[in-house]
Formats: sequence, structure tokens, C-alpha cells
Amino acid sequence: MSKTRVAVDVGGTFTDICIMDEESGAIRIEKTSSTPHDPMQAILNGIEQAKIDLSEVTMFSHGTTVATNALITRRIPRTAMVCTEGFRDVVEIRRSNKEDLWDTYKDVAKPYVPRRDRLTVLERVDADGKVMTPLDEAGARRVAEILKKRDVKSVAVCFMNSYVNGENERRMRDILKEVMPDVPVSISSEVMPEIFEHERFSTTMANSVCAPVVVDYVSRLGDKLAEGGYARDLLLLHSGGGVMTPASVKEFSARLAGSGIAAGAIASRFIGNLCGFPNSIGFDMGGTSTDVSLAYNGEPRITKDWYIEYGYPIRFPSIEVLTIGAGGGSLAWRDEGGSLRNGPQSAGAYPGPACYKNGNKTATNTDANVVLGRLGTSLAGGKITLDPALATEAVQETVATPFNMELHQAAEAIVAVANSNMANAVRLLSISRGYDPRDFALVAFGGAGALHGAAVAKELAIPTVIVPPNPGVTSALGCLLVDVQHDFSDSFMTNASTVAPDEMEAAFAKMETQAVERLTHEGVAREDMTLMRSVEMMYAGQWRSLSVSAPAKITSVSDLVEGFHAEHEREFNFRRDEAPVAIFRIAIKAIGTVPKADMPRYEVRPHKPEPVSRRKVWFEAVAHDAAIYEREKLEAGAAFEGPAIVEQFDSTTVVPPGMSAKVDAYMNILISTKG
Amino acid sequence: MNKMMNVGGSLDPVTFEVLKNSFITSVDQMAEQMLRTCYSFVIYNRDFSNGLHDSDGNSVAQGNQDIAVHVGTLHFTCKDVIRAFEGEMLPGDVYAINDPYAGGTHFSDVRLVRPIFDEDHLIGFSQSNGHWSDLGGSVPGSFDVTAREMFREGMRITPVRLFHGGRFCADVANLIAAQTRDPASIIGDIHSQSQATQVAERELLRLVRKYGRDQVTQGMREVQDYVERAARKRIAELPDGTWETVDYIDRDPATGEGMIPIRIKMTIKGDTIHYDFTGSHATIASMYNSAPGATFSAVVAGTKTFFPDLPLNSGFYRMIEVTAPKNSVVSAEWPVAVTGFLMPFEKIMNAIFEMWSKIMPERAIACAFNLEYLLAGGLDARKPEKPIFMFYEWLPGGWGGRNGKDGADVTTACFGTGLMSQPNEGNERVNPTHTVEFQILQDSAGPGKWRGGVGVQKTSLLLESEKSVMSYICDRERAVVWGVEGGLPSMPHGLTIKRAGEEKETWLGSVFSDYPVFSGDQFARPTAGGGGFGDPLERDPQKVLVDVIDDYVSIRRAALDYGVVIKEVDPDLCEYEIDTTATEALRADMRAKRKDWARMDPTEVSRLYKAGEIDALDAVRRYAVILDWESGEVLPKTTEQFRESYEKRTVAHWG
Repeated sequence: MSKTRVAVDVGGTFTDICIMDEESGAIRIEKTSSTPHDPMQAILNGIEQAKIDLSEVTMFSHGTTVATNALITRRIPRTAMVCTEGFRDVVEIRRSNKEDLWDTYKDVAKPYVPRRDRLTVLERVDADGKVMTPLDEAGARRVAEILKKRDVKSVAVCFMNSYVNGENERRMRDILKEVMPDVPVSISSEVMPEIFEHERFSTTMANSVCAPVVVDYVSRLGDKLAEGGYARDLLLLHSGGGVMTPASVKEFSARLAGSGIAAGAIASRFIGNLCGFPNSIGFDMGGTSTDVSLAYNGEPRITKDWYIEYGYPIRFPSIEVLTIGAGGGSLAWRDEGGSLRNGPQSAGAYPGPACYKNGNKTATNTDANVVLGRLGTSLAGGKITLDPALATEAVQETVATPFNMELHQAAEAIVAVANSNMANAVRLLSISRGYDPRDFALVAFGGAGALHGAAVAKELAIPTVIVPPNPGVTSALGCLLVDVQHDFSDSFMTNASTVAPDEMEAAFAKMETQAVERLTHEGVAREDMTLMRSVEMMYAGQWRSLSVSAPAKITSVSDLVEGFHAEHEREFNFRRDEAPVAIFRIAIKAIGTVPKADMPRYEVRPHKPEPVSRRKVWFEAVAHDAAIYEREKLEAGAAFEGPAIVEQFDSTTVVPPGMSAKVDAYMNILISTKG
Repeated sequence: MNKMMNVGGSLDPVTFEVLKNSFITSVDQMAEQMLRTCYSFVIYNRDFSNGLHDSDGNSVAQGNQDIAVHVGTLHFTCKDVIRAFEGEMLPGDVYAINDPYAGGTHFSDVRLVRPIFDEDHLIGFSQSNGHWSDLGGSVPGSFDVTAREMFREGMRITPVRLFHGGRFCADVANLIAAQTRDPASIIGDIHSQSQATQVAERELLRLVRKYGRDQVTQGMREVQDYVERAARKRIAELPDGTWETVDYIDRDPATGEGMIPIRIKMTIKGDTIHYDFTGSHATIASMYNSAPGATFSAVVAGTKTFFPDLPLNSGFYRMIEVTAPKNSVVSAEWPVAVTGFLMPFEKIMNAIFEMWSKIMPERAIACAFNLEYLLAGGLDARKPEKPIFMFYEWLPGGWGGRNGKDGADVTTACFGTGLMSQPNEGNERVNPTHTVEFQILQDSAGPGKWRGGVGVQKTSLLLESEKSVMSYICDRERAVVWGVEGGLPSMPHGLTIKRAGEEKETWLGSVFSDYPVFSGDQFARPTAGGGGFGDPLERDPQKVLVDVIDDYVSIRRAALDYGVVIKEVDPDLCEYEIDTTATEALRADMRAKRKDWARMDPTEVSRLYKAGEIDALDAVRRYAVILDWESGEVLPKTTEQFRESYEKRTVAHWG
């Protein structure tokens, strides 16, 4: 048996295992039912089912929802916080705003750590990092004893201004470790050394809360894999799009929150690059929601403004993903003002769309697609059959009758509203960030992505849609394509006009030493390390900064300033050359390159494939005689015109009239929306 | 099917829905751009709003996260711009306006308005409204509570051109910036806001290219009709009737004690709502007056709270009619000072909450805490060059108890729910202040079967500084946050100061201006919790116990306010227990006595307060008496007004 790489993506319903033969690059997929009570079980089942010999596996990477689920369900062990006296409530006061501004009965959730378990000690550091009050050691010991009595499983230490000086926090950790050596302790000056107490405390709190759950899971899984003969480190995908080893997971557990969503974005970026589109938009449409992501010049967009629950930011840099409530199961409805709406309510996995025959009578996007003939009535290789009569009835009752429309017109209307909502989501991520969608390719995946992708792309004037070979398991592929990656940042608040290049160079060098240490700790060889620098800047007086990449050796600050002006103009459409520029923060992305296997390439032989059948498919209320293809039978070089439908086990691709499609050397379908 | 109910009659449903959502997306894109390029930290903390208007200035869409206080005002300022420039507008023009007498809110909220043309045709406007850090006037931040007329307050901007056919009018912009304490930021925000209006222009023109001008302008009309139709339908389903209430501003500085009534009578008839302010007090000698535009906004914001899911545009406003007596505190005219309009604004909102709570008990809510903000300014002597500093900050507090649910804890004031509180670490970097504490204030919530949300306390120490003065803008030191359905008031608002080297704290109250402060002075700002909902003696003792464990309520006040007797077992393990027998006895005793307490001779209450036997919480919650909190003297007229409210909102509901 040859060497293999294995990637696992755990979803709500299915656990997907992606197995790549290291020599041939051939990929096979194993799907097994998820086991939410202990996600590890499904992984072990899948390994057995796929007959994977773990001793032959050279890389095992994993996108996990364990951290995300712990935060969402709040099934978390008792965790405590130790704060500066007078500041125990920082995480409860938050920024005091609400997600729903108008509904007085909808509240922001309470913090992960309740008030009773947020204790304080006397200590204080000022804004310049000077220790005004040293840690009251007797008080600190008293707090540690109380927490030990309470049998807490994890502790976060969060002191004011610790981002400039973490001395008191470190001392507090030492005392906690003396009293309760086995309890993990996160300190805010190490987890997220950034100004603004709520954001730093909240990240540290999330990290502490996740730690026991994640560490337990990772060590259990690691042990099982080792028992099976896997000899290397288990690699865990984090929200920033890289992987880390169990050694780092212990320190930065909350980086695993959002792990699952990142996988799709990574795969989308990879496929875009593979097809020659360094600018790509990921369009991952599932049953209840759609995730949109964006890569520009081959790099994903990163954000630090995100959270699992509103009000509790997790400031680890993460791939920016916009999720909207539009999926195959989204319900169409007519509101009291007489408007046709689509979602965000969904028929879910059960009862599902009307055509699933489980009793739902309201039309969904899936029902509309069945009525239009775009979706066949037999899915998943015949495992699921859809009832077109029920779909027709639902579309008739929900939309056609109330709006006085013909049946197919009504079905088209449902789909059009969904497409428009999704296109608006793409606009928010692209146009409003200064990117022109016409410069991008749309990578359509997820169960329903290929069904809607072409229409959404057309709406946005995106010229090309890429449908990867296995749209339903693209996220698992994402887990296979990762490098070890860590992010470091440090406050560096100064004016660009006065800072000396040497000073900045020294600050970068200090961080780079840490970065190299961390990667070395994870077993990355020096020659596989890449350190990417960036500087966050703003016009003096502005409140948000923009990140600009910086060279490996800082010789001139004016080059950075010019880079900032240009980026500000690209993103916001204006620049102020005369205005002073301020520097806010410096950051490093530390990458340990994991050698990638090549994806299999096939010989491209231009030809026109034979459809397996033909059926009536409606576009803009006109019935077309469309060609139906089977994806498995389409070879590299196949080229055909819309209207056409490509069916496969986990997905259906729609090529509307006026568009053309071809299969490339990697078996992607490329649809040209301009014909 | 009923063809009349088909959307608008002419746009097909898909085009309509697409346009409706695209209009909203375009204003949300404006917001995103503004948030990320602004200079004013007030804007950065989300005191802004954005609108798209039709060619008559009516609102087509407003941002999803816009703060409440700007709702219902953007169309007024857009129309005033049209009035001023009709027939002279060019593509690439941008106008500024901040005129509260023309429907704006206060001078600080400066609106930039851009006409949008498709070729030669004016098809609409985009408007970006943000709270600038300073507009000049006699005090930093442009809030002078002693101002009686606008001339001390700051710069009034009637419609003026800032861009002419795409060319930046630097002369005008510099003139405006030169009137302020922060000219560089002002120029920055002009660029930021003007670009935000361009975002909506780009989006609208994209829609025109795709759907044609006629369909788009028709869509702009139809989305207003759509909201109007949905709103009227819901109003029509409610019973007709009339509801009345009164809320108060603490005082008129030019006259003696006695609260300033704002009276509202609401009438629902068919599918319309009429709000009548007849009987409200005349304008007062401070800046706590509201001009008609801001009053309309308060009415819309209060009403909208009971229709949280309806989109906002001019269609919503059409079913609402407002009548207010001329020159009253809710209908001030030029040049009466109105910069503190938020004080009457929140009274109107809470009064509307109270009336609608009767109509929609499932959304009922007691009174919320009063917004407060502190402005301090001077020279930062920590740095050798001693730069000017401006410390301008607001705190969250508690919202009212609800029907079946405690009030929301530590939330931004109701005038602007989107507003964020500021990080202390940011404060400490830019201002010579040190935060001593910023935490939840125990016992701040109004007791009730469902208690109000909790407030906070922030205590700050002034570090090395020179020539520093402080102003405080708040209210409800006397018109204390009230409970409903038998619930109790929470606590008086007000700031106390402890001078450097002194031990004694001095009560400065809820409103003062230009107060000199010195290095080493320490000032404490509590914010009230929300009013209680329902009889506190009916609160489940287990809930009181949990509040004690989490230190929201003290053991002492659990007994005083709720009649629940709790004993400490092991605080290290969070173990406390309820003494059931003692609780039943105490509750019975309180039931027997509490009406008498609420009617006790106020001079006796004053004596107990001065003797230190009771505190301010006892005075307002148990005895319904309002004192001068520093001297302990009774405020007779205020107490009479407060007791009238207490009898009606609290005592009348005790079984």
C-alpha cells in the first residue's frame, strides 16, 4: 500500500473523509454519518469503512466543530476568570450594544463565564506599561484557593493594560499553577496581546472555555490514531486557514472555533488558483445557508472582527466568511405587505422540502428547482427520490396562487429572489470592499452551489463559474491543502513620519524570534518556514486600520505609507496624500509549508460529449429541451452549450441557455456566463 | 385572488423584492464604508445613520444598524436641501446640513446629502449622517447645558455646498472646520461621509442600468407603499382607543423645583395613530428642549419598538400624526437651545413604551435608565507639549423589566441602541484619566416580579492635567426611572466627586457644566438600572437567590426590596440559602405596611435620610420621596409629582 494523506471534515450531518494517494494524487472520498455526541466516533468509523492503514498515512489533518459546538451549546466545564479589581464585568458590559436594535425582547447572550466565577485581585498596570500596583500575592493565593475549592476546570487571567505589560498576569498564572497544577490557565497578554479590554478579555475567556473540551478531544483522537499506527502529529485546521499541532491547540484552543467554515474557503481559493484565477469568490450553498468567501491575488481575506455568539469577539485572525440564511431548504413566503420573500427560515434536514415527502407543504428552493426541471427526481444515486407532484403543489399554493402567477413563472420567481439575496451577500463582501466581481471567478460548491452558481454569477457579471469535481465534499479537500500557520501581532502605535526604520525592524525581529520558536516547537524545519510581515496603518485620527504587507527588511517607512495610500484608495475609493499617517500594529503570519501532493491531471481532449438523456427545463418561464449529462462520464476536454444539466452523486450543475461549459484537466467544470 | 393586493400593481414581485433588498444593501454598504473610514470617535462607536431617498426627499431605505435617534429625521433634512437648491443641483454635488430647526436632531449630527442623477434626471438622494466630535460653541464637544439659545451651542449649518459638480469646495469646508476644536478630523469626516454617499450613488446607478430608470424610481415609491401597507394593516387589527400618560424632565433651571411634564395622549383610530402633546410644559431655560423634527423622531422610534421587524422608510411615517403645542418643550423653535433634545426624546420613548405595553402586553416593558454623558476637557500635562484633551463618554445602564422576563442588563441607552460603550484602555491612552472601576452596580435594578436590568458604575481619577473643566449631561435625578404593574423605581442618576486629598464625596447631581476639576479628583458615575415590572413581593425567591449569588442584589436589599431573607452558607462555594419561614413573615409584614410607607410624611423621610437611617434607594423605592440628595431636604412639588406616578404605576397594582 502506498503512502496516503487523510483529511477529515466533520459536518452536522456527515463526516467526510478525503484520502489522497501521495504518488498518483488520486483522491477518494468516504462519507459517514456524523456522531454529534462524540465526533471522534464517526472519524474512527470512517477510517475503518475506508480501510485506511494509519501506519501508511503521512499526514492526518482535521477540520473540527468541537470548539464551535462547545461555544454554541455552552456545554462547557466550569471556567473562572481572574480580573483586575474593579473590572470583573468587562465581558458582561461588553460594548453594550445589541444585535437586534429594535426587538426589546431579544437579548445578547450572557458571557460564557457567569459573574459568580469572575473573581478579582488587587493589581494595576498603567497605559504605558508601568506597574502602578504590584500583584497582591496574598489576595491572589486566596483567589486560587477559592477556585480550587470550586473545582473549576479552566481559568482565564485578564488584567487591565496587560497588552503592554503582562508581568502581573504571568505572576498570577504562576500562583494558580502552584495551587492547581493540572488546570489550564490562559492569560490575556499571551492569548491576544492587543489594546481594548473587552476584545482581549473575550478572546481569552473563549480560549479558556474551549481549552478543556478541545484538549480532551484532541488527545483522545491523537491517541486513537497513534494506536492505529499513525506516527506523526495530528494537524488541526484553525479559523485562520492554517493548521496547528496539539502542542499549540493547548495554548490557543479558541483558534479552532470556526475551523469548519474555513475549510470551504481554503478549498475554494485552492481551486481558483489551480484553474488560473487568483481572484475567486467561494460560493458554498448547502441546505440551510450559504457561505461566501473571497480570495484576492491568491490570498484569502482575513478578518479579526468575528464571533461565534454576538457580543463575544474572538480576535484571532480568521478567514472572512459571510453566512446568509439561503439554502436549498429555504422557504418562500408572502409577507403582510404583499412581498415575495425567500428564507431565512428553512425546512431544515427534516421535514425538508415539500418534495421530500415528509409533510412540509411550503415551497422551498429545492421544490422550485424540481418544478423547473433543473433538479432531477432521483438524488444521491437513487437513495433519495423526490416527488414532483408535491413540489408542484407547494409552489402553486405558496406563490403561484397568491401572486396570481403561472406555475413555472412562480418557481422561477422563488429562485430569482434567492439568487438576488445571495448576490447581495457577494456584493457586501466584494463591491463594498472595493473589489469588482468582474475580476473574479465564482467557485460553486456545497450541495446546492452548482445549481444556483451560474445565475448568481450572471447577476454579478462574473464571467466564469468553476464547479469542482466533488462539490459536496469540497470542504474536506480544503483540509488536505493546508500549511502550518500562526499569527502574531504587537501594538506599535506611532506616527509614520517620526518612526525610524530600525525601530520597526527591531520590533519585527523580536516577533520573528517567537514565530520561529513556535514553528520549531511544532517540528517545522527552518527551510520550510515563511514569515510574512504586515503593518496596520490609518490616517491619523481614523479609528480603523488597514493592513499593508511589509518587506522582509524594513529600510524605508515611506514605501509603507505609499502602500497604505494605495490600499485605502482601492478599498474606500479615496486617498489623502496630505494627511498624516499613523501606525497602529505590526503583525506576522508564520507559515510552515507542508509539501503538497499534486492534484491528478488528465489529458484534455476537446470533444462534445453525448448527453445521457434530455428533459424539459424551464428558464425565464420558457421550456427548453435540455441535455442531461452524467458527471462521472464527462472527460477532460468535454465542451457543451447550455441549456444543460450535469448530474452527479452529491450535486447538480445547471448551465443556463446562452452559457457554455467545458471540463478542464483537473475535471473541474468551467462555465462561461457570457457564452 | 385579490389583484389589488398584488405588489404595487405594476412591478413584478421579483423585481420589487430585488430592488427592495438592493436599496437596503446599498445603505448598509454606506454604513460599512463610514465605520471604516471615520475620524469622529462618536461615529466610530456607531452614532451615525445612512439613508436613500426618492427625488422628493422621502426615505426609501435606512441602514439596519442605524441608531434609533436618527430614525424619522433624514427625510426632513433631505427635503430642506431640496428646498434650498432646487433647480441648481448638479451631478457630483454634495451638501451639508445640521439644522435642528429644519428637522435635524442637534448640531453635532451633520448630514451630507448627494443628489443622484441618471444622465440629466434627478432620481434620488443619498444621505450620510454622523455625530462629529465638535461643532464649536462654548464648551468642548458642543454641549453647554446652560445655553438658553443656540448661539452658545455651536455652529448651525443651513444647507450649504461642499462639493460642486465633483469639485471639493475647500473654502466652505475649511470655514466649517475652523469653527471647531478638531478641524483636522472634521475635514476627514467630510471626505468619509461624502464617499459613503457615493457608494449609494454607484449602487443606484447599477440598478438603473439593469432595470431602467422608470422601474427603479417606481421601486423607490413602491417600497414606501409596501411598508405603509404592512404597518397600517397591523394598526387596523388593533382596537381603536385612547391612552394617556405623563413623564418628566427633572427641572427648569430658571424656576424653582418641580418637574417638567411631557404629556402624551395617543389615539388609535382605524389604521392611523395620533400622538397629542397638549398639556406639555413650555420650553425651559436649558438645552433640554426638543424641536419638532426630533420629537417626531422620538415618536417614530418609540412606536417602531413595537413593530421591530418592519423595515424603516417614509411609508412607516404616513400613518403617524403628531400634534404639539408651539414653543413647548417638545416643539421648540429657533433660537431656543435644543442640543440636549435627547432628554425629552427618551421621556417620549418611555412614555410610548408604557402606552403600547397596555396594547401589546407580550412586548410590555418598564422604564429604561436615562442616557448620560460626561465631557471633560483641558490640557494633558502628562506630555511635555500639553495637548488639548477631550474626554467624552457615555455609559450603558439597565432597561425596564418585561412581562415574564427581567430587563436587559447593561445596555446602551434607548435613544441609540446601536451605540457602543468605549474601552477604558483607549480612554487611558488618550486622556489623563485612570479608571478605578468599571463594573456592574449592585442593587441598581428596579425591583419587581421581573426586575429591571442592572446598571454600572464607572469611577475615574483625573491625572496630571491643567485648566480642566467637566460637564455632565443626564436627567432622572428626580424623575427617577419608574416601574410598572406594581414594580419599583430603580435609583436616582447623579455624579459624585471626591476632591484630591479629601475623604468626603460631594453629590454634583445629574446636570452641570464647566465645573473646574484638578489632578487627583476622583468622580463616580453610577447609571440606573431599569424599572421593575410587577410586584417584587411576587418574585420567585429562587430568582432573588440567584441574583444574590451573582452579586446583582445584596443580601440586605433582597430583604428590603423583595422581602426575601437569605443566609450566607459558604460564599467561597457560592452557597446561600433562603429562610422560607422568615421570608413569608417578612413579606406579610411588608404587604401590611407598604402603602403607609409610600404615603409617609416626606419631612419624616427627610429626617431619616439626614440621620443616615435610610438611603436614597429607600427614599425612592419605599417612601416615594424625592430629596435634594446632597442636603436631604424635601423637594415638595417634585415629590408630589413623583408620588402621583408611584401611586398610578406601582401602588395601584399591589394586590
